[in-house]
Amino acid sequence: MSQDNDKEIKGHDYDGITEYDNPLPVWWVAGFIGTVIFAFIYFLHYQIADGPTLKQDLKVALAEIEKVKAAQPADILSEDELGVVFNDQKNIALGGQVYAGKCAVCHGNDLQGVIGPNLVDQYWIHTKGTKVGMVHTVAEGVAEKGMPPWKDLLKGTEILAVTAFIYSKKGSNPVNPKAPQGDKIETY
Amino acid sequence: MENRTAQIQNITYDDGIVKKFMLATIVWAGVAFTVGLLIALQLAYWKFNFNLEWLTFGRLRPLHTNAAIFAFAGNAIFAGIYHSTQRLCKTRLFSDALSNIHFWGWQLIIVAAAITLPLGLSQAKEYAELEWPIDIMITLVWVVFAVNFFGTLARRREKHLYVALWFYIATIITVALLHIVNSIEIPVAFMQSYPVWAGIQDALVQWWYGHNAVAFFLTTPFLGLMYYYVPKVVNRPVYSYRLSIIHFWALIFIYIWAGPHHLLYTSLPDWAQNLGMVFSIMLWAPSWGGMINGLLTLRGVWHLVRTEPIVKFFVGALTFYGMVTFEGPLLSIKSISSVGHYTDWIIGHVHSGTLGWNGFLIFGIFYYLVPKLWKTELYSKKLANQHFWIGLTGVLFYYISMVTAGITQGLMWRAIDPKGQLVYPDFIETVTRIIPLYWVRALGGSLYIVGYILFVYNIVKTIKSAPASQSDTVVEYAAPAKSEQITSPEQGHRKLEGMATVFSILAFIAVLVGSLIEIYPTLSLQKYLNPEQMTEPYTALQLAGRDIYTKEGCYLCHSQMIRQLPDDVLRYGPASTIEESMYDHPFQWGSKRTGPDLARVGKKYPNLWHFRHMLNPRDITPNSIMPNYYWLAENNTDFFILRKKVSVMKMLGVPYNDNMLANADRLAEDEAKIIAEDLEKQGAPKGLERKEIVALIAYLQSLGQKAKVAAPVAPQK
Ligand code: HEC
Ligand code: HEC
Repeated sequence: MSQDNDKEIKGHDYDGITEYDNPLPVWWVAGFIGTVIFAFIYFLHYQIADGPTLKQDLKVALAEIEKVKAAQPADILSEDELGVVFNDQKNIALGGQVYAGKCAVCHGNDLQGVIGPNLVDQYWIHTKGTKVGMVHTVAEGVAEKGMPPWKDLLKGTEILAVTAFIYSKKGSNPVNPKAPQGDKIETY
Repeated sequence: MENRTAQIQNITYDDGIVKKFMLATIVWAGVAFTVGLLIALQLAYWKFNFNLEWLTFGRLRPLHTNAAIFAFAGNAIFAGIYHSTQRLCKTRLFSDALSNIHFWGWQLIIVAAAITLPLGLSQAKEYAELEWPIDIMITLVWVVFAVNFFGTLARRREKHLYVALWFYIATIITVALLHIVNSIEIPVAFMQSYPVWAGIQDALVQWWYGHNAVAFFLTTPFLGLMYYYVPKVVNRPVYSYRLSIIHFWALIFIYIWAGPHHLLYTSLPDWAQNLGMVFSIMLWAPSWGGMINGLLTLRGVWHLVRTEPIVKFFVGALTFYGMVTFEGPLLSIKSISSVGHYTDWIIGHVHSGTLGWNGFLIFGIFYYLVPKLWKTELYSKKLANQHFWIGLTGVLFYYISMVTAGITQGLMWRAIDPKGQLVYPDFIETVTRIIPLYWVRALGGSLYIVGYILFVYNIVKTIKSAPASQSDTVVEYAAPAKSEQITSPEQGHRKLEGMATVFSILAFIAVLVGSLIEIYPTLSLQKYLNPEQMTEPYTALQLAGRDIYTKEGCYLCHSQMIRQLPDDVLRYGPASTIEESMYDHPFQWGSKRTGPDLARVGKKYPNLWHFRHMLNPRDITPNSIMPNYYWLAENNTDFFILRKKVSVMKMLGVPYNDNMLANADRLAEDEAKIIAEDLEKQGAPKGLERKEIVALIAYLQSLGQKAKVAAPVAPQK
């Protein structure tokens, strides 16, 4: 960068500081004008022309996701198929971990019931004591009663595992069990 | 010859006031940095709040930001402005008395902040947390500063204003405007108030303020300082006078519009978001104008970078300035904001600005000024060099770790698997992933502090070596002889530089245009509300709970704004609407998600869940980094003041009926009883109904429950 062309401006002396009369760097001017042009076009596109609003964009994106979700095969297992899954020790072990992390807060470390009901007795509010019912309740939750839906928070295999874990604790005798809630299911 | 000697005058500059502001800068820097390190450690390991309410993140974070901006940078600006303005105007400051009122008034404000913020006395608006009595003090002291500064300009012996002074003028005018408009509030108690603005209005005003606090407190005054000290230290002419003119006016005109880039994808109307984005992009070149002029002024003396620590700091500062002002426009692009917003990327961004640009410029200036003003030599150049390298390493550790953390977490939040489900639905998983980076950040901050300690040691040693008798600098001033003056009439900008008043008015107009165009439309908030989706006002108990939420600074870790983005909607529920925050004085949208969004947390969990979670979040979420809030179960809610609070809200336009106005306290007590009974039934201790925690739970359970939500944005079942 040669400085031969630098010219100090006459009369510009501020406490000893002087100034050169250099032109604006060309690339800088180009950059500035470029961003201004971009700004105009962008703003016109979205504000005057019919560029999509944020709401419209969101709607499209959500519809896309819904489509993907709807295309998933509904993998609802029958009572017997679940029986096989529930007998798998690996599932029960994984389910124990999930339970400790997500469910124990409300149902107690020993499933004895705290905020949520006791999960080892024969009394059930929603599940009717069936495996299918249990999987369904865990997946869909009972939001208005404080049981969160887990289907978006846990993977499908984790939901099966945690219900298998609960099932495996059937009839255990925790200390301080919560009083029964729901209907007694003799077959459970 | 005879004639000229007759015109020589002696000018005695006021160095004492400059020294005072410099010492204050050094002291408060220590406070700002230490508190910063403490809260950085709290995010890595929550126990660093020592389980004390005054030290929790939500209370200390405002102290950190206020100390860094207004105490550290603020005092440094005043020191630099007072030092350079006297020399550029060739006159002593307008009034020694005003200078001292300014100094002590400002320190008093800072002390008041340092006491009130840990106590939780806060307006819950970022960088404007200080309560109304302190707001008034700030206004008064700022007016004193302005009178002193403009008085000095009026007495100047140099006809023309140098570019540094342009930036000072813009700073003083704009900060006054920002502070006053953003702080319009109605007191409810000695240290509590509600802003007149609500919802999107408050969001817009707050970020107009917040963004321009960065612009007119951390950028324009520092550019002014840069324009004086860089050419002065290296003794080279400024690269381009024309560039100074263009980039100055473009910068102040455009900056003021850019605030809404903090609110992209929120429920702020689209037009405001679009304006915020495009003006941010146009800001890139004007910002770089300052960097170019600074760096190119060093042409021919680059070798000084090797030998002179001061020049190292200047080059470092200008480089960081260039980086930050490139990254800023980048982050304002909607699609990039959708990843970066609410994450630590933004934290990294501002720290490369404050630590790199502001901090390094201040250190450079101080290494130059201390020996000069105390009339001695710098104790050790070597230490100053080490300070630079250690500080630089610190900033880089800080910046790189935070950008990595931010992008990592941002991408985890938005990851959706081929089945259309969130890959990381569990929020805490995205937190534990970045904890190691929080440690790296704390290390970066520690290194910066080590550099600062070397700096303090060096400065103390230097001052100790100064001659005992210190006196103000006296210079001889000779008015230029007629023959030296340019006789041809001045034109254009040159002419303007001779007219301080006209210049100031034009600068004021430049910042007013964008402010009016952006803020004015939302003053009539009604226009944006859909009458079919109106919101219920908070009940009295919920209002009490909300005040606990703001007091504890929950908004510093939690947002209440579900953006119009698919991943936000999948994770938190339908996008937030304008109506949902229409009665929020102040709005609580937040700017950082250290924890999950809370806009729709109401009814998500039973009361007991919240009770246990607030007392010890790790009882519920084992790896949580949220503080314990056990004192909320010990302290009583002030029911008595609720009538006053409700009436102030009513005055601000919240439609409370007469029953509510007359019986707010009793209605709240009734509501509290119901919640307390429910808690007790589920196993919580007896007698909670008067405790703060019950009010807070009432508020949390109301979030997202107050308004009907537009169907189209809800995920279909
Ligand atoms: C926030 C507290 C909470 C959490 C966490 C929670 N639950 Fe529940 N759960 C409840 C409540 C409350 C009910 C009772 C709902 C009702 O009364 O209708 C319930 C009910 C149930 C039921 C039905 C019981 C019946 O009687 O029909 C099952 C099964 C269940 N939960 C399983 C789980 C599993 C598995 C998890 C962990 C993945 C879990 N819950 C986590 C609160 C919770
Ligand atoms: C240091 C940051 C921090 C602060 C301050 C903080 N939180 Fe949190 N919060 C978190 C984190 C991280 C989580 C997620 C982990 C968990 O569940 O604890 C969380 C979770 C929550 C949740 C559960 C949200 C959900 O959907 O599961 C609520 C409710 C909550 N916080 C309320 C508050 C309130 C009220 C305050 C103020 C009194 C507050 N938080 C202050 C970090 C914070």
